[in-house]
Amino acid sequence: MPIIYKAAITIILIIWCIGIFIEFLVPYNEHLIYFLPYLNKTFSLVCHQENSKLITNGISETLTCARCTGIYLGLSLSSLIILLKEPKIKISFKLILFAVIPMLIDIIFYSVQIYPYSKIFAFSTGSLLGSVGFLYFYSGFKNLIIEIKNK
Amino acid sequence: MKKYLATLVCGFGAGVLQIVPMVKSVSCCLILPLAVFFALILDQRAAKSNSKIPMRKALLFGLFTGLFAALFGSMFEILITFLTKHNDIIASFPQLQKMIEGFPLSQDIKRDVLNLFQSMREDIIHSGFSPLYSLSIIFNNFIVNSIFGIAGGLVTGQLINSRKNININGK
Repeated sequence: MPIIYKAAITIILIIWCIGIFIEFLVPYNEHLIYFLPYLNKTFSLVCHQENSKLITNGISETLTCARCTGIYLGLSLSSLIILLKEPKIKISFKLILFAVIPMLIDIIFYSVQIYPYSKIFAFSTGSLLGSVGFLYFYSGFKNLIIEIKNK
Repeated sequence: MKKYLATLVCGFGAGVLQIVPMVKSVSCCLILPLAVFFALILDQRAAKSNSKIPMRKALLFGLFTGLFAALFGSMFEILITFLTKHNDIIASFPQLQKMIEGFPLSQDIKRDVLNLFQSMREDIIHSGFSPLYSLSIIFNNFIVNSIFGIAGGLVTGQLINSRKNININGK
């Protein structure tokens, strides 16, 4: 795939992740506060934004929960790696199961209160899903370009 | 249109579920990709087809599911706000005030941001409708849902095809 497409996807994902952490950036550029309520509403479409599940440093919080933050950072990390080196992993159904099962186990375990909600577990399982999920997206996008070229 | 009927059905479902708080706390960002997944499966079942899904079709299904989800989601959110004269902006306004006051910013900027939301809040409380709120809902929904729909289409298309590889190869 031409590097320009890979770079465009990576840039979009990085901008999306910057949006998630915008509260952390407001102290460095006060005009970013104008975007904050709008971005909060945007991310509310893709995340429940429950206060207890947001990543915080005591002053600022992420605009998505720990799990969603992990998913989007995982997607960004995978896209950055693929920008530098083409993956040789074969896309199979077992791969997505490997990524989804830890997240499902975490959701079930904290729902039945085997342990309380852990931002670390949520972030880790989210990152795993995001990293692996990007491989499917990348593979689909590559096949799309091939289809368009063959048409 | 009949070709995209599955996207209309699943997009409607996704649009409704996106505004239900309980559902969002469980499924998060996966509502739309799941909707696209079901749209593709429904379409295959209706056409009695077991062939691989072309990525162009997966992308278009994702786009249309996202657009329908945006259409219905926006409609219901604006309608519910109009009827109840209440929404998440009003509910979270005290929290927004506290958050903005907590930042080390100039008073002018804090006042500007709060005034913008105060006017939106007053419009909704008095008439149930705010042009700025409605416009931002529509714009947000259409952009975000289209992008998530397209990404969901490509991912779920690949997933369904990789599952077909297992069935064909018997592994």
